[in-house]
Amino acid sequence: MGRDDIVVGLEIGTSKICVVVAEDQGDGTIKILGVGQVASRGVRKGEIVDFDTAQQCLHDALVDAEQKSDIEIESVFVGISGSHISSFNSRGIVTIPEEKGEIDEEDIESAKASAKEVSIPAENAFVHQILQHYYVDGRDGVLNPVGIFGSKLEADYHIVHGIRNRIHNTLRCVKEIPLSVEDIVLNGLASAQIVLDQEQKNLGALVLDIGGGTTDYVMYHDGAVRSSGVLAVGGDHITNDISMLLKMPIARAERLKITEGSVILGNSLPGETVALKDETGFAGREIEREKLNTIIHMRMRETFEILKRRLENDSAFGYLGTGLHITGGCSLLKGIDNLAQEVFGMEVTLTHAPAMAGITSAFENPQYSTAIGLVKYAQAVRAEIPAEGVLTRIFNPLKRLFRR
Amino acid sequence: MPATKTNDNAMIEINRSLPGASAPIEPIPVKIVGIGGAGSSALDRMLLDGVDATDLVAVNTDVQSLTASVAAQKIQLGNALTHGLGAGGDPEVGMQATEVALPAIHEAIEGAKIVFLVAGLGGGTGSGAAPLIASAARDDGALVIGIVTLPFTFEGRRRGLQARSALDQLRRICHSVIVFENDRMSELIVPKAGIQQAFIQADHCISECIRALLSMVARPGVIKVGIDEVFTALKNRDPQCVFGHGESDGDNRAHEALARALKNPLMERGKLLEEAANVLVYIAGASSLTLAEVEMIMTELNRHIKERTQILLGASIDARLGNKLTVTILSSVGSNPPQEYVPLSLPGRQQPAAEDPVAQSASMPERQIEIIESVVSVVVDEPDLPSKTELPAELIPAEPKSNGASSKKGKEIHQQDLQFENVSRGRFEKSEPTIVEGHDLDVPTILRKGFRV
Repeated sequence: MGRDDIVVGLEIGTSKICVVVAEDQGDGTIKILGVGQVASRGVRKGEIVDFDTAQQCLHDALVDAEQKSDIEIESVFVGISGSHISSFNSRGIVTIPEEKGEIDEEDIESAKASAKEVSIPAENAFVHQILQHYYVDGRDGVLNPVGIFGSKLEADYHIVHGIRNRIHNTLRCVKEIPLSVEDIVLNGLASAQIVLDQEQKNLGALVLDIGGGTTDYVMYHDGAVRSSGVLAVGGDHITNDISMLLKMPIARAERLKITEGSVILGNSLPGETVALKDETGFAGREIEREKLNTIIHMRMRETFEILKRRLENDSAFGYLGTGLHITGGCSLLKGIDNLAQEVFGMEVTLTHAPAMAGITSAFENPQYSTAIGLVKYAQAVRAEIPAEGVLTRIFNPLKRLFRR
Repeated sequence: MPATKTNDNAMIEINRSLPGASAPIEPIPVKIVGIGGAGSSALDRMLLDGVDATDLVAVNTDVQSLTASVAAQKIQLGNALTHGLGAGGDPEVGMQATEVALPAIHEAIEGAKIVFLVAGLGGGTGSGAAPLIASAARDDGALVIGIVTLPFTFEGRRRGLQARSALDQLRRICHSVIVFENDRMSELIVPKAGIQQAFIQADHCISECIRALLSMVARPGVIKVGIDEVFTALKNRDPQCVFGHGESDGDNRAHEALARALKNPLMERGKLLEEAANVLVYIAGASSLTLAEVEMIMTELNRHIKERTQILLGASIDARLGNKLTVTILSSVGSNPPQEYVPLSLPGRQQPAAEDPVAQSASMPERQIEIIESVVSVVVDEPDLPSKTELPAELIPAEPKSNGASSKKGKEIHQQDLQFENVSRGRFEKSEPTIVEGHDLDVPTILRKGFRV
């Protein structure tokens, strides 16, 4: 009860609501104590559309997690997503007065503030301000400028923002449980924390978390986030395409996608069909395999192409040492790595959360990358700011939301 | 008694508006010529939207559509040739019909300093008549601005090619051409809206564009925009028109109007502006328009454009706007700088330009046959198709809607008569559409790329 070493991550996803309870072991690792999850309803494209239904599901997931972990959950790190999220890079510049010369914490704070002095749409709020690099008098490679003598401090930040009301909707759903929200985390960023290690971030990597309703992407280069965002297309779209074009109910289309779907074309015999069994086991109709695969292929190819167009203008795009890392439920689609490799022209790894202490084996599945990534992120954040008291920890994110 | 208090405000307003009203404005004689079915329905919309002090001229081969038009002047093309029917989707018929009617057209646009040509390219009348009328207007010494729409992709390859070739001709003849691509315009509309609504919206967009252009060049501005600056903004070799118009009368009207202008799908949320070399911004409001508002709009806009981009700013006071503030952004993006741009007043160049369409049309029939033949064979080369793979027979693209027999049916080929594919969005019907790069991604990819399963 009220243990300081407990971190809880909450992912309100389009296909499932997942609560991960973990224990911070104090040595930089975490131990998973329990995971509660329920199939999600009332969530579309990563955002809550039916408030009451979603809240009911959230409640069930929390109860499930509390039972499994034997911990009473008080506060959570909430993952957010949705097409309204956008991001950009910004540089803050501070001139150090000559008589002072030495850079201190205060200068860093003002550099941070100055990077934020860009105007985002009035209805938007900042979600993340992630440090990329410091430069002192134009020299890069400065890890910590405190104590260094210089006349100009520059700091590059990656800034993520989204529509305030839509973020608030998710938060309200959590707060009414009632639970307190420690911080909000971009889903893609959370996934990247768990599927990438520091070395991969340094070498450069692009993480695609293709979930049910959204595809979240984060690009790392030189150890820092270069680019991030959300494309509101995910596995749901594939299911919907199948359902519409092959004229079958959503639930069946979903099953067909999971059991038979593939993005590889030309691999099936001419006229090869898939028998689609209905709930009673009765073989209903036959679907041409190539047709099914074409539907999936076209959708995924288009999605990858859109993402590539969004990212390829970044100068770091061609220099991602460890290539593309695909996670999320959709990464289980057969042949998706081949297609991604063809479109992006880089090495592709299908990845998921690595083994860690606790009951993780069941969760070494790409579907849980975000949820487990959230606790990893939470643990990293806590490790960074140990001095922050419980109270500020609760109020800071709220304060940040209201500040523009 | 009532005069003391309630009229106080009104009095001030009247006084304010007086200087603007009393200033003698020399109206520039303008004609707006709507060509073909699409052109005349755009005229109808303009009248409803309150385009003022201008003469509308409707030109069409189809008598039925012409009688229904609200334009003050109506010219029927090629009575003897088409017997009051449409041009049947054949530009050559449209052109021949126009040649006969040229004297009447000259008469109608006589004396106009600026002639706007509004046409839907791709069909018979629009594609055939527009170049001829444009050169007629140039011969009369008017500034000619073409405002044309390109057909939807689903209308078929041939219509697209007809439209392209007409557009090429227009580019050579007109001083400037603004192109609205129907494919992009369709994003203005929620996918569920009826087809009627879709075309109304498209017409509305064109009408707003003309209205903005008119007030830019015809209304005295605090910061004046000349027609030359409009041309600068539109100058590009193969331009994609970037147009946005927004108005607002709220508390934060400057911000809102700009945001609305940027939301226009022809802007792609301001993304296209980044590529533009010249951007024309026109701000209009009543006398309550403040410098701070103009400054705010410009600072916000600057965020969407590159540093080296030239901004052409115009601002004007129009008492009729009341509390409203309007922001109009006009620009174009294209891969290359313009090459053979026809200078404003070079009479020597007019003659060959006027002859061009005739020369081009001579080769038209042959080209068309070629096009029809290539329709099927081109399919495999489509870049968007999965490479190196055979597609099932059912996935071959839907037949283009206007070739062979169907084009003989005459007026049924009008743009208005086309059916949208009945595309639904399945389970995303009620959620916010995912619109990226101008496509509604909730619609299955295969349907959007024109395949049938």
